[in-house]
Amino acid sequence: MSANDCGRYVYCIAEAGEGFSFGDIGIDDNEVYTIPYDSLCVVVHNCPIEPYSSGDKDVVCRWVINHQRVVEAALDRFGTVLPMSFDTIIQDTDEGSAEDNIRKWLVEEANGLKKNLDRVRDNEEYGVQVFWEPNTIAGVISQTNPELRKLEEEIRSKSKGLAYMYKQRLEKLLKQEMGKEAENYFKDFYHRIEGCVSELKVEKTKTEVDKQMLINLSCLVAREKTEPLSDELENINEMDGFSVRFTGPWPPYSFVTVK
Amino acid sequence: MAIEIDEGNLKQGVLGLVIALVEIIQDALRHQAVRRMEGGSLTEEEVERLGEALLELDNAIKQIKEEMGVAETVKSVRDGLDSAVDDVLDNFLNPVKWLNPAKADKLS
Repeated sequence: MSANDCGRYVYCIAEAGEGFSFGDIGIDDNEVYTIPYDSLCVVVHNCPIEPYSSGDKDVVCRWVINHQRVVEAALDRFGTVLPMSFDTIIQDTDEGSAEDNIRKWLVEEANGLKKNLDRVRDNEEYGVQVFWEPNTIAGVISQTNPELRKLEEEIRSKSKGLAYMYKQRLEKLLKQEMGKEAENYFKDFYHRIEGCVSELKVEKTKTEVDKQMLINLSCLVAREKTEPLSDELENINEMDGFSVRFTGPWPPYSFVTVK
Repeated sequence: MAIEIDEGNLKQGVLGLVIALVEIIQDALRHQAVRRMEGGSLTEEEVERLGEALLELDNAIKQIKEEMGVAETVKSVRDGLDSAVDDVLDNFLNPVKWLNPAKADKLS
């Protein structure tokens, strides 16, 4: 073995004690194979001991997609996997080769790994993002909220300066109401979605052009519960001013923390 | 947040930055004005004068932005500031906290 490939790039851990080669499907066409130990195996390719990094966004993107494909191939073959994040590399040390270190790691972490595998067995990850159009929602609120309607009436009959100040007040109140509504909808959606999933994680929201992300969830969903979830999301999607982005199934990246 | 300044766009950049700051100060003024109005410490005549002054300032800023073609620069300065502030606030106002405390504990 050359010094150039004494590291092991780890894609995922699978619940199968078999040695298996996936062929040259790895990053940069490396051969992907499993290192089995007991009832588990680690899906790897041989690599130099340095992280994959590049200033070229396209290259990195290709690597990450490749990583994802390998994890999916492992998922197809073994049913349950704990995906690792991109660029997880195990190296050789004074105490042993990279392969020895992987086996040692499997032994040390066996309990934790099995617990994680139990959690994600027969489950898939989905991304759920609910957006709202602030303008549509604001329109509904200003028509239904009596205080805001009254203020709007008053503005029409006021002189220039007063009208300006009343308008500022109107906008301030509207903003407050929007905040309350956002909170109510967040709770409502959260609880509706919670009923259909095994586990939920609240992720950071991001704002996109013309629409606001109200809630961003990673959901761990049992295979037989996918349909109730998608029905529930369809209900939300049909609400006026709301839209849902539903992506997946993904390997359960957000629900395994492997050290 | 990057404010690009080279010789060619120095004037635009500085002006954009200045206008953005004026806008932010005006936002604060407006906020204060509304609070005083709501507090009832101003007569109707005073509110009228305050409103007119703020409206004039609004129009003046709008005009300068149009004439000097710095609307985009101002927007990018303000968006940059907004997102910087958002990042900070996110730590305090994370939606997780909207859930009841028991839920938040379970999630963390």
